[in-house]
This record gives sequence, C-alpha cells and structure tokens, in this order.
Amino acid sequence: MYRFLALLGDVIIRFTEETGRIIVLLGSVLKEMLVPPFEGRNTIKQMHEIGVRSVPVVLITAIFTGMVLALQTFTSFKRFGAESMVGSVVALSMTREMGPVLTGLIVAGRAGAAMAAELGTMRVTEQIDALETLATNPVKYLIVPRFVSSLLILPSLTVLADIIGILGGYLITVGLFGTSSVVYWRRTWDYLYLEDVYNGLIKACFFGAAMALVSCYKGFYTRGGAEGVGRATTGAVVVSFMTILISDYFLTAWLFE
Amino acid sequence: MIEIMDLHKSFGENRVLQGVDLRVERGQSVVIIGGSGSGKSVLLKHIIGLLIPDRGSVIIDGVDITKLDRKHLYEMRRKFGMLFQGAALFDSMSVWENVSFVLLRSGMRAREAKEIAVEDLRRVGLSGVEDMMPADLSGGMRKRVGLARAIVHKPEVLLYDEPTTGIDPILADAINDLIVKMREELKVTSVAITHDMHSAYKIADRIAMLYQGRIVHEGTPEEIRNTENEIVRQFITGSARGPIRIEGVTA
Repeated sequence: MYRFLALLGDVIIRFTEETGRIIVLLGSVLKEMLVPPFEGRNTIKQMHEIGVRSVPVVLITAIFTGMVLALQTFTSFKRFGAESMVGSVVALSMTREMGPVLTGLIVAGRAGAAMAAELGTMRVTEQIDALETLATNPVKYLIVPRFVSSLLILPSLTVLADIIGILGGYLITVGLFGTSSVVYWRRTWDYLYLEDVYNGLIKACFFGAAMALVSCYKGFYTRGGAEGVGRATTGAVVVSFMTILISDYFLTAWLFE
Repeated sequence: MIEIMDLHKSFGENRVLQGVDLRVERGQSVVIIGGSGSGKSVLLKHIIGLLIPDRGSVIIDGVDITKLDRKHLYEMRRKFGMLFQGAALFDSMSVWENVSFVLLRSGMRAREAKEIAVEDLRRVGLSGVEDMMPADLSGGMRKRVGLARAIVHKPEVLLYDEPTTGIDPILADAINDLIVKMREELKVTSVAITHDMHSAYKIADRIAMLYQGRIVHEGTPEEIRNTENEIVRQFITGSARGPIRIEGVTA
C-alpha cells in the first residue's frame, strides 16, 4: 500500500512538473511569436514539411474513412429504411469529428514524431547549444515556426480531409449501392451547417498547436543520447495522441453543446 | 578580461563546481585540464552563459554575465566563438550556411556571406567543401568547419570544448596548429578544455587543473611539467595510482 501511494505520488508530481514546463514553454513560444524578426522562411519550410508532405496520407485515410462510414451507415440504416440519410451522416461525421481528429492523429504520428526526433538529435549533438552561442534564441528559431505552421496547416489539411471523406462516401453510396446522386448531395447539404465545419476547424487548430507544442517540448528537453531521442520521439507521439483524444471530448462538449 | 569567481554549480545531488576561481587575461590562451566528469565542460558553458551558476560570478570585460537578461547576454555572446566537441554543425544546412549562420541571421546577403564563409574555410585549411552537407564530412573536417563558424564574426574570445578528442593524433596536431594560428592571426583570447596533455602543452600559455570542483593548480606549461603537486603529476603522467581516485576502481 505504501509503495503504491509512493508510486502514485511520483506519477502526480512528474505529471504536474511536466505540464508546468509545457505551459512555460507555451508562454515563451507565444511571446517570441509576436516579437519581430519573424521566421518567415523557416515557417514556410515547416509548412511544407508538416503540411504538403502529409497530404497523400491524409487523402488516403480520409477517402477510406468516408467510404467505411458510408458502408456502415448504409447497411445499418437499411434496417429501418433510412438509407437516404447516409449523405448527412458522412458529412456530419467527417466535418465535426473524423476530419479534424484523424488529421490530427496522422500529423502527430508523422510530423510530431519528426519534430521530436529532429530537436532531440539537435539537443544531444549540442546543436541547440550552438544556436545559443551564435546568439540565436532556439525557441524562436526552432519551435515558433513549427508551432505556427502546425496551427495553420492542420485546419487546411482538415478541409481537404472533409471534402475527400464526403467524396468517399459518395463513391460507396452512389457508385456501389446505386442511391441517387441528387439524394446524396441533397442530404449532405440539408443538414450540414457552416457551424459544423468551422467548429471542426477550431478543433483542428487546437490539435495542431497541442501536437506541435508537445512534440517540440519532448524533443527540446531530450536527455541521454540516442536512447533519449528514441524515448522523446515515442513520448511525443503517445502524449500527442492522448492530448488530441482527451481534448477532443472536452472541445466537442464545449463547441457543439 | 574573463574573471570567474567562486563559481558553484550542482545538478541534483552532484556538486560539479565547488568554488572555481580563474582569471584569463586578454590575448592569453588558457587550457583547463581535468579528468572525465570533472566538470570542465560545465565550467566552459558558464563562461558563455549556457549555464547559470548556483553561486558566484563570471565577469567578462567588467560585466557579470550571470546577471544579464537574454538580450544583453546575446549581445555579449557576439564577442565569443565556440568550437564544440562534436562540432555541433547544423545538419540541415550546407557547410557554407553553417559557417555564415550568424552573418545570414544579421541580414547579410547570401552571396556576400558565402564569400566570407569560403574565405574562413580556407583559413582553417578547407577548400571546395562549401556546398557539401555536414553529414558528408569526416570528423576532422567537421571540427574545422566548426572552427570556421566560430571565427566568422571575428570574436574576441574563442572557447574550445575538447578540440582534439575523437580524432587521430596527426589530425589532432593539425587542429592544435590551427588553434595556435587563430590566436596569432586573430589575436583572440582562448579558453580550451581538454584531457589531452600533448594538446595542452602546445596551445597553452597557462594550464589550470580542475579537480573536485576547484582549480587545484595553475601554471605555465613548463611549471606544470615540473610541478610537485601530486594531483597534477598523477594526471599528466596518466597514472592510475595516486591521490586521484577513480570511482569503482581500486589502484
């Protein structure tokens, strides 16, 4: 019992400490973000790295998610004769939930891991110290561009995922099950409000910012050589996933109440 | 010009520096020697403000850098150039971009910055490598590029973190020659840390021995060579027997 309490206390202390350090890092990121000079070139490079390079995997995931949604909904709804509603279900699920969450998870797995690995390697090979000695603030030079790019890129990728997901749903509903194309689009537009889309995009912005912050934090404070970099990378992905999934619940409760 | 007074630094339970006092005059070349894990790197990182001491001060040209805010610390750092142990080149940039990093950051045009980089690369004995990536260079070449990067903004002080560690003896000697050359040509003050005595004798005006968190002995290379100090004697002769105890090893 005593050991259990000690262990629990240890976990709580570490969690609080880490959260505190992430918040402090967020503070300096926000401060450096607003102070010129702005890292324009660096930010564009990161946008390419995080955004453009994630497009293929986002597209494939989105189209199959839309297709599965349509397949599941169609076969289930058929039981009570509501097949015509498939378009609405796909559109609402994609924009409100699947689009932002899946995009967030994909980018966290791809770009978040890369951020942690890159910054971690820079830390253990003293490149971050070298930046400091060259009078360059590493938070501004390394973290701000990644944070800003993720914040902007995630909603853009989500829009893409939403559209492709809905098209995937169309392929199955109209192409495979032979429902009228007019009905699919009609049902899509009838029940989809602009609010659904932009609330989904707010979620995406949050996921982007959280994922970048967590991944950069893990990489930036890496210790212990190659093994440390490995740990930082795994940690970045796990914590980003948890943050996205847990915050998704609260964001949904708040945005769509 | 560099004055370190009563410097203390601990990491958790580990008391690394326990009252270091050291003075480096302008234009002088001081080498700090000491065993692995004796805190040499920690001391060097305090000189350029990468670490903040628990107690004590580091005074550069009359200013205590341990009390500076970030902006003033960065201004102060422009006086320094540092060569890291593994060179710490930025992997994502070409050699010339590494060398002229500071120049490019301060808004210099790429063409002009590249010319200066090429010139400084030549100064450290490298030519034709400016467009290569750091990953394509050998260890010795990386150190040279690191040195070119450290001197590109004409610093007053050069710091060397184990400049000859991890390279073969001939290359190490070439690096030593370069360090001497930098000092003569650029009139810089140098502080180097090393456990390579051959290198220390070659590049130092003064040698200081760091042991158990303090400078235990200091002198010219000649004085160090003939010292009666048992700790220093043991270290320079590289003997496992003597007052310096190695954890887990009984002599």
